[in-house]
Amino acid sequence: MIATPPVASGPAPSAIASRPDRPVVLSCQGIERSFGGLRALKGVSLEVREGEILGLVGPNGSGKTTMVNVVTGFYPPQGGRITLYGDDVTGLAPHRVAQRRVARTFQNLALFKGMSVLDNILIGRHVHMRPSALGALFYWWWAEREELAHRRVVEDVIEFMQLQDIRDEPVEVIPLGLQKRVELARALVSEPRFLILDEPMAGMNQEEKEYIARFILDAREARGVTILIIEHHMDVVTAICDHVVVLSYGEIIAEGPPAEAIAHPSVVSAYLGERAAKRQRGGAAA
Amino acid sequence: MRTGHLKTSPGQLVALSDSPAVWAWVGALAVGLILLPYLVGNYMLTLVVSAMAAVIGAVALNMLTGQTGLISLGQSGFLAVGAYANAILLSDYGLPVWLTLPAAGLTATGISLIVGVPSLRLKGLYLAITTLAFSFIISHIILYSEGLTHGPNGIFVKGARLFGYDVQRGWPLYYLALALTAGTILAALNLTRTRIGRAWIAIRDHDIAARAMGIDLVRYKLLAFAVSSFFVGIAGALMSLQLRFVNVDVFGLILSIEALAMIILGGMGSVAGAVLGAIFLSFLPEVLRIGFSLVTDPNSTFYTNYVYEIRGIAYGLVIVVFLRFKPDGLVGMWRDAKKYWSNWPLAY
Ligand SMILES: Nc1ncnc2c1ncn2[C@@H]1O[C@H](COP(=O)(O)OP(=O)(O)OP(=O)(O)O)[C@@H](O)[C@H]1O
Ligand SMILES: [Mg+2]
Repeated sequence: MIATPPVASGPAPSAIASRPDRPVVLSCQGIERSFGGLRALKGVSLEVREGEILGLVGPNGSGKTTMVNVVTGFYPPQGGRITLYGDDVTGLAPHRVAQRRVARTFQNLALFKGMSVLDNILIGRHVHMRPSALGALFYWWWAEREELAHRRVVEDVIEFMQLQDIRDEPVEVIPLGLQKRVELARALVSEPRFLILDEPMAGMNQEEKEYIARFILDAREARGVTILIIEHHMDVVTAICDHVVVLSYGEIIAEGPPAEAIAHPSVVSAYLGERAAKRQRGGAAA
Repeated sequence: MRTGHLKTSPGQLVALSDSPAVWAWVGALAVGLILLPYLVGNYMLTLVVSAMAAVIGAVALNMLTGQTGLISLGQSGFLAVGAYANAILLSDYGLPVWLTLPAAGLTATGISLIVGVPSLRLKGLYLAITTLAFSFIISHIILYSEGLTHGPNGIFVKGARLFGYDVQRGWPLYYLALALTAGTILAALNLTRTRIGRAWIAIRDHDIAARAMGIDLVRYKLLAFAVSSFFVGIAGALMSLQLRFVNVDVFGLILSIEALAMIILGGMGSVAGAVLGAIFLSFLPEVLRIGFSLVTDPNSTFYTNYVYEIRGIAYGLVIVVFLRFKPDGLVGMWRDAKKYWSNWPLAY
């Protein structure tokens, strides 16, 4: 989770690249969320447009994960309004948000430990599975036919994510990088319209990072998914995001095309402040 | 080698088992079970029917505790509900047994929802204690609602006839038990590989991730309570048919411990494990009895005097030893053995 400091990439382009005028997928207005005395989100407003990859960045503890948890229903906001494809979803339970075809991955892996890679990915199909309790009990032929259809989607994604070789392994024993990939596959099989990725490349080497970046771009290309990604690696953010929102202490301090947003003076100083704080802590410890 | 099957069609991926050997064994077992009344005496048949009631109970508890991860000590309570519902409807209301059996299951389901709702927010130890309290409350209700349950006098179970046969003894009881057991196992296996069973296991393994997958925790936990107690109720009803007399003493805490020991011994979460564990522990007292009769002198009443204590200790030992050394239970040991032999002599 070491933040790569933003590179001041020359002067910002003169004409402010305006965002294409696409339909709004997610709109958050004035989101408030506190933990005890700590105001983790201080009236955050942001919009995600259809088909874009939006990068949510910011120093450690700035409220990025909290924002995602608010949107996906895990932490109902204490103020503000969230709309998804125009519907008010503020305070909706997590499973209800998921049923609206929003999929997410977690910063700290959240795989089902007791299951194989395949079974983990299959659970991603839950929102599409409809056999009744009785049908499941007796497993009539139609329940079996449905199961087959789900298997096909899953096998497609397994191939897309190149997980064939480890399909039957217990998910616990595979390396961290692959576990992250399984989690991404699990999110993709739900055929989401909107995909939220919380640091999908944490702990990966350069090669693995590039792999995941490719998957993300392909997912958008082939499946038309709208994506919100939290990422600390600024090179990746600049490379794949269309729009970037920068959080610091629960507030948006900059927003715009990646290179511009990252090079914004307040962003540079937020990250520099973080580095200075780290250095100070290091100095105190020594 | 039995490992490394190449599956060439999705149909093979979802089949219950891909191996002809497994189907051959299942077929042989089925034939054996159907012919059993011709092969063994009445005493053995009685033992087998008790074991079958235990299998149904363990498979049902496995849904709630093994798969959904909700630890229940309420097994004896649900068994009592099923047994009493069956006994009352059969003896006092004269309903036919094909009606009282499902009614016993449904009664247990109904009551499980009353326990299930307040239990939804509880986990682990707290849930275990709540369900334990539930089974004590059930015994008290049975003792004090004399008009319905005949209180401390207990109740005779009589008049269960199916196709003209008395299904409370001998081979008719055995075949009824066999049908109920087979039905329960099949239902459990099918649930396991569809949306519902997967959702249960997901909740057990990571409830936050489960919610992110669109799984409604409340609904699926209640469903686990409902389905599990339906089959426990059936197991209780079967016990009441066989015993022909029930009172509260039959349904002591030891039954809940025994059921937990069964699924731990077999391997938590596995249907096959629940079946194996139930069979092993059902025959354990018999094995112990024979063992004691071999080492003590023939007139010793030691075993019969202390049968409950000995069983209790045996269950406790099984739970402790397996949780500590073989958390995957008998099924895990079987899997390891299979892997070892199919790769032998290459220690891959
Ligand atoms: N469940 C919680 N209870 C209490 N405090 C919390 C909780 N979740 C987050 N916080 C606090 O809210 C603030 C924002 O945390 P958050 O996890 O959203 O940051 P982040 O931007 O995702 O950081 P990182 O880059 O380290 O993942 C932090 O100060 C954190 O300690
Ligand atoms: Mg975070």
